[in-house]
Amino acid sequence: MAESDSQSLTREMGLTQEEIARRKDFLELGDKDIERLGRLHNLAESYAESVIEEFYKHLLSFQESRDFFKDPALLQRVKGAQRKYFSELTQGTYDETYIESRLRIGLTHERINLPVKLYLGMYSFYLRAIASRFLDAKKNRPAEALLDVLSILKLVFFDMGLAIETYIHQREATISAQQEAIRELSTPVLRLRNRLLIMPIIGMIDSHRASQLTQQLLQRIRLDRAKVVVMDITGVPTVDSAVANHLIQAVEASRLMGATVIITGLSAEVAQTLVRLGVDLAKIHTVGDLQEGIEEAEQLLGYELKRLPDQQETK
Amino acid sequence: MLVPILKQGPYLVASIQSALTDSDLFHLRDELVDRVGRMRSRGVIIDVTVLEVLDSFACRVLRDLANMIKLRGAEPVIVGIQPDVAFAMVQLGLSLEGVVTALDLEEGLAYLDQQKAGGRERGR
Repeated sequence: MAESDSQSLTREMGLTQEEIARRKDFLELGDKDIERLGRLHNLAESYAESVIEEFYKHLLSFQESRDFFKDPALLQRVKGAQRKYFSELTQGTYDETYIESRLRIGLTHERINLPVKLYLGMYSFYLRAIASRFLDAKKNRPAEALLDVLSILKLVFFDMGLAIETYIHQREATISAQQEAIRELSTPVLRLRNRLLIMPIIGMIDSHRASQLTQQLLQRIRLDRAKVVVMDITGVPTVDSAVANHLIQAVEASRLMGATVIITGLSAEVAQTLVRLGVDLAKIHTVGDLQEGIEEAEQLLGYELKRLPDQQETK
Repeated sequence: MLVPILKQGPYLVASIQSALTDSDLFHLRDELVDRVGRMRSRGVIIDVTVLEVLDSFACRVLRDLANMIKLRGAEPVIVGIQPDVAFAMVQLGLSLEGVVTALDLEEGLAYLDQQKAGGRERGR
């Protein structure tokens, strides 16, 4: 990730100007709120330190968070970040730089695996602390103070949305990286006997992998002059109509090259889903498990498996 | 471009040598359907090894041709569809349904021999 790029994260997460504007609209975070928040800056600066101290006292009264912030250096760093965060809340401009900074905070917390509950708890604590201070500051104008609180509430929700989305974004990035890794584990096509190939498929099949897999199979059919292919899908976690169609395509293409495909390893759940989805499986030849599939393939090729009589005795 | 049609015992082998135009395909169809009766052939092999593309039109003609050959009492086999061609065909939904396919000429001949042997057994 290019840390140097000041707005890389904003772009990466697809937060365009319009999207940001839409979010602000949705929260009704308008110019008035922004102006109001700007005016509170001096007040906020005056109590920032005390609120943060209070918060950490509260936070560290829980064993779980104490465990989390065992390292005093980490705690110090986080406190510093909080101070900055606090002062940015009332800075009066909430543009791309502000958003990038919020996303970075979310990212940092995700990296250190801070639980979301602590994150949300922190927001709750700050809101309550800030609200009481606003009320104190405008004792004789409670209505005014309430509006201030509402403005800060909108902004905090805006922030929270960004932070949580960073969490989700990071997790999704991890998931897609793992999927990529699984996809890259090539699906081997193995020769079991003369003219008999087996192809165990493990992992999710999407259209990209399906076409890669089918082409690989077809090349091998020509190379090995295969007549029968046993395709085992025990390791395919979910088979929906799209996956079934990919399998049907592989079967049909193999047939065009004169090879028969036997599919094995359809679990009970998979069979149920396929029938419920109404996938037409007339073109697919399926048998229970890999053993049966191989036996059937051998039969098609005219092989007969026999145990030698003298071996039988010793067993 | 004419397609040579070779007689090989009880079989006919149409070996396509280069890409065919639509009219070439029609010509091949007419020629084969005619000859299969004249030569009293039991089987017909159409070798498409050199074809790099089989479009929907060609597939339809091949399927029709196969059905016509069946009606004339012979067994049609299409051989030599290349991996890329096969893949492209299924993606376009062209699967030559009901037509026997084999890997190459040798396989096609083996299939026909097998059919002939089976038929003789049945006849006994």
